Amino acid sequence: MNDNAAKKPFSIQKTVLRILLYFVVIDVCIITLYPYFAMFCTALKSRAEIFSPHGTILPVTALWSNFIDIWSRAPMANYLLNSILIAGGSTIIAMLCGIPAAYALARMRFKGQTAFLGFVIVSQMFAPVVLLIGIYQVMLRLGLTDSLLGLIFINAAFNQAFTIWLLRGTFMGISAEMEQAATIDGCNRLQSMTRVLLPVAAPGIVTTLIFIFINAWNEYTVALCLISTDTNKPLTVGINIFNGYNMIEWQYLFAASIFAIIPVVILFMCIEKNLVSGLASGGVKG
Amino acid sequence: MSKVAQKKPVPAKMTPPRSGNSPAKRALRRIEPYIWIAPSVILMAVFILIPILSVFQMSLSDVSKAGKIKGFNGLGNFIKVVKGSAFGLVLQNTLVWTIAVVVLSTVLGFVLALILNNKFRGRKVARAIVVFPWATTLVIQASVWNFIINTDYGTLNTLLMKLGIIKQAVNWTPTPEAYFAWEIACGIFVTIPFVTFCVLSGLQSIDTTYYEAATVDGANYWQKLFKITLPLVKSSLTVSTVLNIIYVFNSFPIIWTMTKGDPANHTDTLVTYLYKLAFYNGRQGEAAAVSVIGFLILLVCASVYMIYTLRKGDDN
Amino acid sequence: MKKTLALLLALVMTLALVACGGNDDKPADNSNTQTDANTPAPSTPDPAPEAPAGEKIDISVIASQYGQNTNKWWADFQEAFNKEHENINLTVEVVSWNDIYTVVNTRISGNTAPDILNIDVFADYQADGLLLPAKDYVSEETYAKMYPAFLEQSNIDGTIWAIPDLASARAMYYNKDILDAAGVEVPTTWDELKAACEKLKAYDSSIYPWGIDMTTDEGQAAFAYYIWNNGGDFTDADGNWTLNSDANVEAIEYAIDLVNSGLTNSDPANETRYTLQDLFGAGKLAMMIGPNSIPTYIAEGGSTINYAFAPIPTNGGNPSVSAGVMDRFMCFDNGHSPEKLEAIKTFFDYFYEDARYSDWVLMEGFLPATSAGGEIVAKADESMAPWVDIVGSCKFYPTAKAEWADVKQGVINVEQQALLGGSVRELLDALQSDIAG
Repeated sequence: MNDNAAKKPFSIQKTVLRILLYFVVIDVCIITLYPYFAMFCTALKSRAEIFSPHGTILPVTALWSNFIDIWSRAPMANYLLNSILIAGGSTIIAMLCGIPAAYALARMRFKGQTAFLGFVIVSQMFAPVVLLIGIYQVMLRLGLTDSLLGLIFINAAFNQAFTIWLLRGTFMGISAEMEQAATIDGCNRLQSMTRVLLPVAAPGIVTTLIFIFINAWNEYTVALCLISTDTNKPLTVGINIFNGYNMIEWQYLFAASIFAIIPVVILFMCIEKNLVSGLASGGVKG
Repeated sequence: MSKVAQKKPVPAKMTPPRSGNSPAKRALRRIEPYIWIAPSVILMAVFILIPILSVFQMSLSDVSKAGKIKGFNGLGNFIKVVKGSAFGLVLQNTLVWTIAVVVLSTVLGFVLALILNNKFRGRKVARAIVVFPWATTLVIQASVWNFIINTDYGTLNTLLMKLGIIKQAVNWTPTPEAYFAWEIACGIFVTIPFVTFCVLSGLQSIDTTYYEAATVDGANYWQKLFKITLPLVKSSLTVSTVLNIIYVFNSFPIIWTMTKGDPANHTDTLVTYLYKLAFYNGRQGEAAAVSVIGFLILLVCASVYMIYTLRKGDDN
Repeated sequence: MKKTLALLLALVMTLALVACGGNDDKPADNSNTQTDANTPAPSTPDPAPEAPAGEKIDISVIASQYGQNTNKWWADFQEAFNKEHENINLTVEVVSWNDIYTVVNTRISGNTAPDILNIDVFADYQADGLLLPAKDYVSEETYAKMYPAFLEQSNIDGTIWAIPDLASARAMYYNKDILDAAGVEVPTTWDELKAACEKLKAYDSSIYPWGIDMTTDEGQAAFAYYIWNNGGDFTDADGNWTLNSDANVEAIEYAIDLVNSGLTNSDPANETRYTLQDLFGAGKLAMMIGPNSIPTYIAEGGSTINYAFAPIPTNGGNPSVSAGVMDRFMCFDNGHSPEKLEAIKTFFDYFYEDARYSDWVLMEGFLPATSAGGEIVAKADESMAPWVDIVGSCKFYPTAKAEWADVKQGVINVEQQALLGGSVRELLDALQSDIAG
């Protein structure tokens, strides 16, 4: 009896907590989605309706043509492809440089270790806006102005700090025993890292991948200064065409922006599965 | 880091460690770590360090309006900048902006991560939605917010009027302070996903047996939160906070898109201020000086924070 | 898990490879990149497209993006020009106004200034000795086409350094229906303007009577409208700065008073002219000062308001002054050979050919800077005719003076400080002593 009496309020409390949980989650989602809702509705309106004195929430007549018009008014397909190439390329280079560095920091002891970690953080302390002129001069020397490759290197460099710090933490959280065993079995360091450590560290690596991809996807300032040919521009810079001298075409700007979000959200949803499965497999230890 | 230059060819295959005691092998072992970090070092040196050096050079030079370096100027640029009438205000704004955005988004992002770490129906969808603000370019994000809160055609007023909550359009930005508050809100909005996912990735690596053991011992929710969760996600939280301080301090697009620092520098931070100095007033030397000052502030803050948290970590 | 990760990596790697493949100019080698950033970079011109560059003369142009049609217009121009001139390879890069200063200054610092630049300012570039005199790169007959008054705007120490590409002028626009309904006559003086605003406000408090833009975008325009129509100016006849003259102080106090009396849009420090134009087009703003491109803007936006334009109201007996904005072409001194200067002359001759030039001006609804162009434009579009007259007689910002960039930012700051409650007199005194030393 006593047991039951003690259990009952507990389950009521649990139900209340559940309801509270859903309440909070739904609220957060609504607030988060509201700007996108506003963006989407505006993208479907005519300019006259956007500024009409009798404001509307949903468009009176949905102008789906706005979503089509932007493709003819600007080389949107080029922009989209460039953005994907830049973000993808930056991710791969940042990982290729960052994984070995993080591995060395987590598994080896060497002079200047702390200095290197410090340098990594310090390298982030200037905003790209500040470094524009210097970056441009370096790119000029390398012949990388107006090229996607230049942007890929810049984004990879600016994401090194994040990559190294996050992966170092991940690697340090994984016991080195298995790698040592692999070494005794005749693997060299590179093999023991790629065959033993990286699969176990997959969730951390995937998280890092998303971070770099999104950061590179959203980069604006450097791309603005380095890229001069219209068809070489990424989306973030390219859609500025709707933000001209005489007017801001809100409906086109927002329609184009929605296209810019979709790929990232799709990518994220694909990878989210891996985050969860990484957790379920329980291969990672704290 | 000069050792990087003296790269040695990596042997195709390492022999088992027991036989690695000859002097040559020992030398290789000493150099090996530097080979591993070399790509990263080269990448950052070329694309970040060189531009940083040119900023330092500019800050000490007399730079013409069109951007030509005319000669050495000592600390002239720094003196001129610090004496500027708006500098104090801008510095204060920068601190308010950084602290407000970092603290609030860290707290909110942490709580959100705890919530999203529960198992519930629709968790996948919720997690995907939370990433939205982060998947949007800041320029667009800020334009949308500006569009929403506009007094005359903003959708917030329209919405509230349709819902019958307000009768007349409300001016959401009657003072510069109100505008700045909206900018901070926008900053928090876009920063939360970053914190949330840093913490989530930390949470997911916590072994559930810790909690099971604690439950057996009769620990309540808060005890588990402070004794298990917090210490274990601390390393990912520290990294995300340090990087956040840097990113937010240097954040440019939100303020630039929403107010350009108007009116009269009341919503300027160091970065927007120096951008105007460089590209509107054509004073690139002074702009470089402002960025060096900002760098020094960040350097001190980040070092203090890291020494503090790392030392605490050593005590445990 | 491993598999998915491998797949992902493979995907990203392929993308990276495609990205590299798409580039002709690969990086040399990372090892030779650690060169000293302090030494001036060699002035390598932009890598030329694959064409056999041996014979051809490259001309690079950076042009401002005036609107939706600018990119297309220049693309067509470039194609037609290169087809007709086989020995010249012209490349035009169109940059938006938001970014053009950043882009140009970055290029200059990198020693890769374009050959020809189309922008509003020129004095800073001239001060650094980066420009060529206009006579060096414009042929006699093309030079003779320009309005002399326009050329004078680019005069420093007796030399003309830039040539006008187009202009716009400002006038007061008013919504006829709103003014009629409120029983308000079109104001011509400041007293009438204030009375009209009060009457409009009493008629319908949800309509803003008067629009003011004091933002970083274009706050200097508001400053000019009020001081010029109060008999004041930025400088005196000798070119000395007179920012804190009594007429200027009185003018700005009048404008601030309109805002404080609640007769204007709610937030002049943050609402740009674009916002005002949109409000005007939506019938939420009764009167505003705007450029001649407003009709195009309103028509394209699908608005149906009934409006007209009139001279900007003035104080007392002062003549109404319209503010002109003029943009320019300039030529950077990149050590051009005589052949190249000839090619640049050919470019300008081609650009200023009457038919092509009036097409350029009409494309975005601007005003011509050549007299022949003026005649064609006035004939082609009747609504432009009064503007062609206005632009011949309006005042311009003192952009030829080296301090202009600081003055421009300074007067905007003064306006915004005044909006926050500062004393106009003290603020202008401080600015004057700051600028004039």
